[in-house]
Amino acid sequence: MEALTESWVVQFLGRLHPLVVHFPIGLLVAAFFMEWMTLGGKRSGLREGIRWMIGIGAGTAVLASLLGWFLLSTGAYGSDTAVWHQWFGVGTAVLALAVAWLLRRAHRAEHVHSPGQPFRLAVWTHYRIALSVCLIGIGVTGHLGARLTHGADYLSGAFPWNQPESMAGELLAEFRTVDTGAYTPQQLDRINLEVRALFTHRCYKCHSTEKQEGGLILDNEAGVRTGGESGPIFAAGNASGSEIIRRLLLPRDDEDAMPQKAEALSRDEIDLIGLWIDLGAPWAEGDVRIFPEAELALEKPPLPPGNDLDHSIDRFVDAYFEEEGIRWPKPVDDRTFVRRAYLDAIGLLPTPEQVDAFIRDKDRDKREKLVHTLLDQRHPYAQHWLSFWNDLLRNDYSGTGYITGGRKQITDWLYHALLANQSYDDIVRALLSPTEASEGFIRGIQWRGVANNSQRIEMQAAQNISQSLLGVNLKCASCHDSFVSNLTLDEAYGFATVFADTVLEVFRCDQPTGRMSSPAFLYSELGVVEAETVEKRLVQLADIVVQPANGRLYRTISNRLWDRLLGRGIVMPVDEMDRAPWSQELLDWLAADLIDHGTDLQYLIAEIMTSRTYQLPSIPSAEAQDLVAHAYRFRGPVRRRLSAEQLTDALSQTLGPFYRAVAYDPLGEDIEAQWIWHHEQEVDRDVLPKPGKRYFRYAFDLEQGRRNVLDAQALVSVDEAFSLYLNGERVAEGRDWRTVHRIDLAGVLRDGTNLLAVEGENGGSLPNPAGVLFDLRLAFADSARQAIFSNTEWKTTDELSGDAWTNVNYDDSAWQPARAYGRFDRSYWGRLVDFRHNPDREHLPFARASLVTLDPFLKVLGRPTRENVVTRRDDQATLLQALELTNGAFFNEAISAGAARWLGDYGDDPRMLVERLYHSALGRPPSRREMRAATELLGEHPTEEEVQDVLWAVFMLPDFQLIY
Amino acid sequence: MTTRRDFIKQMQAASLAAMAASVPTASFLSGCRFEQGTGPRNTATADSVILLWMAGGMAHTETFDPKRFESFEPGMESKRILSTFPSLPTALDGVSFSEGLQAIGEVMDRGTLLRSYRAADLGFILHSRHQYHWHTCYEPPQSVQLPHIGAWIAKELGPINPAIPPFIDIGQRFTVGEAEELKAFHTAGFLGSEYGPFLIPDPSSGLESVRPPAGMTAGRFERRHALYRDLIAASPLGEHGSDYQKESLLRSMEQAYRLLRSPEAQAFNLREEPGERYAAYDAGRFGLGCLLAKRLVQQGARFVSVTTEYEPFLGWDTHENGHTRLVNMKRMIDRPVAQLVRDLDESGHLDRTLIVLASEFSRDMMQEGRPEVKVKDQVDVPNTVEEMKHYGMHRHFTDGCSVLFFGGGVKRGFVYGQTADERPCVTVGDPVYIDQIHQTIYHALGIPPETNYEVEGRPIYTTPEGLGEPVPELLA
Repeated sequence: MEALTESWVVQFLGRLHPLVVHFPIGLLVAAFFMEWMTLGGKRSGLREGIRWMIGIGAGTAVLASLLGWFLLSTGAYGSDTAVWHQWFGVGTAVLALAVAWLLRRAHRAEHVHSPGQPFRLAVWTHYRIALSVCLIGIGVTGHLGARLTHGADYLSGAFPWNQPESMAGELLAEFRTVDTGAYTPQQLDRINLEVRALFTHRCYKCHSTEKQEGGLILDNEAGVRTGGESGPIFAAGNASGSEIIRRLLLPRDDEDAMPQKAEALSRDEIDLIGLWIDLGAPWAEGDVRIFPEAELALEKPPLPPGNDLDHSIDRFVDAYFEEEGIRWPKPVDDRTFVRRAYLDAIGLLPTPEQVDAFIRDKDRDKREKLVHTLLDQRHPYAQHWLSFWNDLLRNDYSGTGYITGGRKQITDWLYHALLANQSYDDIVRALLSPTEASEGFIRGIQWRGVANNSQRIEMQAAQNISQSLLGVNLKCASCHDSFVSNLTLDEAYGFATVFADTVLEVFRCDQPTGRMSSPAFLYSELGVVEAETVEKRLVQLADIVVQPANGRLYRTISNRLWDRLLGRGIVMPVDEMDRAPWSQELLDWLAADLIDHGTDLQYLIAEIMTSRTYQLPSIPSAEAQDLVAHAYRFRGPVRRRLSAEQLTDALSQTLGPFYRAVAYDPLGEDIEAQWIWHHEQEVDRDVLPKPGKRYFRYAFDLEQGRRNVLDAQALVSVDEAFSLYLNGERVAEGRDWRTVHRIDLAGVLRDGTNLLAVEGENGGSLPNPAGVLFDLRLAFADSARQAIFSNTEWKTTDELSGDAWTNVNYDDSAWQPARAYGRFDRSYWGRLVDFRHNPDREHLPFARASLVTLDPFLKVLGRPTRENVVTRRDDQATLLQALELTNGAFFNEAISAGAARWLGDYGDDPRMLVERLYHSALGRPPSRREMRAATELLGEHPTEEEVQDVLWAVFMLPDFQLIY
Repeated sequence: MTTRRDFIKQMQAASLAAMAASVPTASFLSGCRFEQGTGPRNTATADSVILLWMAGGMAHTETFDPKRFESFEPGMESKRILSTFPSLPTALDGVSFSEGLQAIGEVMDRGTLLRSYRAADLGFILHSRHQYHWHTCYEPPQSVQLPHIGAWIAKELGPINPAIPPFIDIGQRFTVGEAEELKAFHTAGFLGSEYGPFLIPDPSSGLESVRPPAGMTAGRFERRHALYRDLIAASPLGEHGSDYQKESLLRSMEQAYRLLRSPEAQAFNLREEPGERYAAYDAGRFGLGCLLAKRLVQQGARFVSVTTEYEPFLGWDTHENGHTRLVNMKRMIDRPVAQLVRDLDESGHLDRTLIVLASEFSRDMMQEGRPEVKVKDQVDVPNTVEEMKHYGMHRHFTDGCSVLFFGGGVKRGFVYGQTADERPCVTVGDPVYIDQIHQTIYHALGIPPETNYEVEGRPIYTTPEGLGEPVPELLA
């Protein structure tokens, strides 16, 4: 049965169900009405048509039920509604058959018995009753089916009483039951607050302190009571005589009608304002907390009663499913799981061997064990999760601000924090009250010059902490009181002042207000930040923020990790934690459980990944906005696209290194060599090197006799092509700077003076960066060492005279000193991961994309520039991406290098090539059709180009680029 | 409880998220957008924009707004020097240009010269920061990533010809100094990368980015794509339901495939141009960029930017040798720009193409920034000029700059605004600011001034707070 339900035929047939159901519905309903018209023996001409309709209707009803059964068996729907629909459908089909049979019997009776006989009448009545019942069945089944496709509130959502404006209506209904004069102060406050909320949403756009159209200000009490240029807007106690009510009730096209730039108010909303006026327009004390705010405190909710589910997350999800009428789908198979788990835990594809071993493993707990084994791979884990944190903390290796020292990396600190799995409270502490290594986060980005006040670095710190760590948007409030949250300008400045050396003047929309701010944390109920110095304040701040009472911090990170692993947060958007979660209990439990486990992030990741919930089949969503829609219901992980880094690393794994140099190498050697090139100037300014050949010389004395040399390993890389000479003898050449040449020079060394010479060539058609990087380590018998490396002591020329320039005794006095283009580890080229003398020690398997400087390829695939905090990347493909992947020179170069490798390994066996490729890239064998399509193109003796094309086509498949 | 506002916000967030793929890509291929745009487009006087970017700070007194000429003599007082070239008449009565711009002068009867653009101060001069400001209309840093003006236009109007990307940027390499700062505004920002610039650093090799990969024959390109389609059809995952990630991938791969085999890609091929005309533009990379811009606009490009290229201390960034280097810079732009105007006028495209020639700020011999807002000097200028090296406008000046407009609904043969004839050569009337320039361009294109998107809960307009009015005097 299982094989059957997974067959595509069944799936296809199942999907015909929605099409086919319309036949029995239409036919039987039409037949019913026609039957009605024949009552009393009229219109007997219809009889023949009805027969056909009933016959075909019954037949297609049976067919539709069968197809529906198929559809359900593929697991596409899992709720109680689906089950009801199924059984009603089957029942109705059976009934339709019965109707057809009864009709047939009635017709027979017509022929056998003479007209007017009781039996003849009875059979017709039976048939007609059955047809009516059948029609009811159709109605119920159809309704249930529509609920499945359109959602339970599809119909009822159209009713006026179910409109979103119902809040005003509800209040109104409640308050109307109260006798005038008997309102409690709380009720009066609520009415006032609701009225002010209406003002905020519909009126502030034109009538606020900032924009006083008609002289009217509605964002403070004085303004509301004073009214505008045309007088007061209301007369307390007399709604019907109030200007505001008159204007709100005017037809939309009237010149005086309000609001002009927002949606009209509903009748309930206007009545509510009227009620407030009639009650004498009371004003509530204190701030209007207009927008919903999540609670700060956190209490661990009790686990829902467990049945056969023992994982805590699953128990919460089970309770949720129960409530929502969702059935647990079957977890994914091993193949899907192993790929998903590798990509989520360490960002790499499992090798075919790892997949096979996992599938063969008979251990019942193998999934759980795999998750733990993966998370224990410390460097791969850190290299994968680094991208998430870099996005969140807007940390990058290049970008604006660095040029004038207005920005600082936290990479080294961050990497080691991940490597050591530092607890989250420690991480947050280090970010808020930083050491030199982690201060880059709150230091912000500063370009040379003066910035808008809402972007001063103290405000950036406040904004970034709010967004990244607390899931609240402070950006609006740093310019003026927020329109989308309860945060005020003063609160934003108070928070910013925590990071400021001096008192900050509050600027509204970049204009000074004359008010001075004093330091305060955004949620003052959590504690006070009042110390004199910034340093002490930051310690206080860190204490306040990381305390368990600040549930917001832990809910925010739990939600982010959930979002990361299941594709959609429990709260969405993930930066707006004041929104309602789809399960408050689950979110609270995750956050509280994290605290209970020492805020161990890997614990939380493992906890999520070992749940059955994580193992559910991924749910497709037709549109990206479905994920943020209010109507979202959790059914399982959301389908995801590989991130730029995952995709690139997966390519590196299957094609060979995609990148060779990184911006940060946690496992690199200390090398002093510098990238050097001829010093090129135009008019009087340094310019990029022009294409063409340049020559380099460097003479050095061997510190001991050549017999004492035990080891003389040179590393060389030249952008772009080079020939390397030692003492006139050519010892190496190359055409790609990314390939590090490792040369043993022991045999060519001489006693005394030696001469290194390089002929370098810069390619391209326009001036572009060029450089020579050389590092020679000499080891002598007495363990003494000598290091020779490229630096500005080397001499260069762009014009060669004579041909003995590679010899020691050549006169290079006319040559000039080389220009340095940065140290080995800090240059345009990045740090070559293979440029190391000791390749046996622990090192990067290849340049992981998370460690690479942002380049056009990664950028177009969606790696953000990290000028701002980014917490979710766009996972829709774009045309620019497709262009880059179709004809991008960089990508095609990687493909062709990979093709050469694949051809070398499997060139004589195209079937094996396809087999291995599918296993490597997709973690599964090719189907027969896939094998046929690929081998058809490859032929018996594939060329390199054909292999390139097959590789390309496989990498472009959704199967490769998505996580199922 | 959901309030109506929540609901609206969700819708907006959702549409923002969805924006990147569905709507624009549909229009990218169908080109329907052009016919549909009936409402606001009625006011439009231009369909395309060519921005000619004079990167590095072009001195107004040495180009389109010359002042008293002082020829070089050793020992001359620095503060006496206003212009280092003589003025020559143009096709417009009473309007002179600095020597070396005669060709542009000859077509000046077809355009408008704005002499009173005032650049922002930003507290300190950093070219890339001022360029960011010019191109996005916002001062960096900002709390969200803001779009380049070309990206706004690409987003609002889409491509004219589906085979030509709506935002093309010609001539800037990102391997130069301040590259990160340059990258920061060569972006569609929150509008989504779909509207980002299609970068062509070298106009001579523009064709490479719009045809099948180097070395791939048409036949092989077809076979490769056919295999791709076969493998998609053969994949068992086809049954896993349809999702937007997969759909967007398949859709964009199909688009790329069609785009790369489109015969219209030949618009990118400069070698198709007759030898004579090619020669008329061949004054370096900028000139060829103008030629490419001409071809692209004639084939239906929406927004093309051609830059003299920013590289610190090169191009218009004359920290010294101002006079000598300007001779070269003028040679680089004069004939190509004039030829571009003439060619588009003759082919009838100038009527619907707005050409804008601008720079991030101007230069002056003595004044850094502007008189009332003195910023830190970055260039040493001696009191007396002894060597040619010191002869020229070396400091960054923000108070008076020239901007040229041709076609697309601006007046023909018109000058707006003026600057003082004596130092400081500041704007003396009708100052124009960056948001007005942007709104003038948007107005010509029929993009309403209130155009905005809600990002992280707040509206972001094409110009800050939606302020800035078009300058009606510039428009015909």
